[in-house]
Amino acid sequence: MSDVLKGNFQPQRKVSVDDRSEELSSQFEREALKRLGGSIAFVSKTKFLYGTGRANEDSKPDAT
Amino acid sequence: MKTQSRMPPEPVQNRGSQGSKGTLGRRIASSLENITLEKVTQVGFANALMNAPLIASGKNISALQETFLMKREGALVIAAGPSIHRYDTAKLIKESGFKGIIVATESAMAWCLRHGITPDLVVTLDPHASRIVRWFGDPNLTEAMLARDDYFARQDMDPKFQEDQLRFNRELLELVDRYGSWIRIAVASSASPSVVDRIVKTRMQAYWWNPMYDDYDKEDSLTRKIHALNNLPCVNAGGNVGSACWVFAHAVLGKKRVGLVGMDFSYYADTPYAQTQYYKEILNLVGPDRLDNVFVRMMNPHLGLEFYTDPAYLWYRDAFLEMAQQAECETYNCTGGGILFGPGIRWATLSEFLSGAKA
Repeated sequence: MSDVLKGNFQPQRKVSVDDRSEELSSQFEREALKRLGGSIAFVSKTKFLYGTGRANEDSKPDAT
Repeated sequence: MKTQSRMPPEPVQNRGSQGSKGTLGRRIASSLENITLEKVTQVGFANALMNAPLIASGKNISALQETFLMKREGALVIAAGPSIHRYDTAKLIKESGFKGIIVATESAMAWCLRHGITPDLVVTLDPHASRIVRWFGDPNLTEAMLARDDYFARQDMDPKFQEDQLRFNRELLELVDRYGSWIRIAVASSASPSVVDRIVKTRMQAYWWNPMYDDYDKEDSLTRKIHALNNLPCVNAGGNVGSACWVFAHAVLGKKRVGLVGMDFSYYADTPYAQTQYYKEILNLVGPDRLDNVFVRMMNPHLGLEFYTDPAYLWYRDAFLEMAQQAECETYNCTGGGILFGPGIRWATLSEFLSGAKA
């Protein structure tokens, strides 16, 4: 890419892109989204119950 | 009270100006699973630890299978969506002679009791520290608390909670005190101390359970960890208490025919955005000009009416549809409104369901 996009002058100091504003924006969005979240998790599983001791469960819980 | 709902023209305040309608809302909905898990895990687990002594000395939901609830055929789930107020729902239920069981969300309990309907089972799930107890009557509610949190003044689930809130809270305290001992309640281990205290003081019959937090087959699963802590059965609650009621009806109580009322997962078109569940959060997130990007509009083909929803409700709805296709029961949506339609859902009127007619 650097071979294709070349500036027509050489800056005297090294230029670094400050991506902090993007980071803050993303952080803000994430915090705001947290408040939109549901009451509890939804788990995509074929069985509705776990740990009842019934034989038809997906798997058995740990003994510990 | 009307039996058919016709919506007035959509108010102009619900129309924003920029961007594709609902695009952002659909994107947010698809990312809510991980975000919600992050949000509820800490408080849910902390509440489970606090509730451990009561859980150890109490009953769990397996004991429900030794009650008369197992003997009845069919179940009606009553959730607190706005449609229950737009139809003569209570009258239809009471006059039907319905022989099945009634499973209600805690948010619909006040509506049930004041309409002379005592649910056979109430379900509570959400770990919120101060809001959920309001559905039971909050003995510590003050004017200052109402000033800090206007959630109940804005919500559309029960209009009674929008009135003189302190007065209504007093009335609800008396109502739940009076009927508490008659009510069986499936209490999630994630329930807040204020809710648990209210359940104990009103002598409700508590049956404990764990909500599933994650895939129990994964190593280091939090669900497995909580189960190891309290040995309670874990239930896939579908993200919200209404879905949890439906799961209880068919997966715990074995009902093969389950009807739903008040499961809107959406708002009527004449509901101002400001009265929606997450309005303030959405406003803070995108600002007033991009609200239409977040709220998603959907046409209900059974009614020919448009409803709108927010990312959280859309996520609940999608999760429900996924679960409905796996459930070993017939699910009849008798809500009469909203966006819960699709594979696994039979659309029916409440009268049809109550009379046993197939949709």
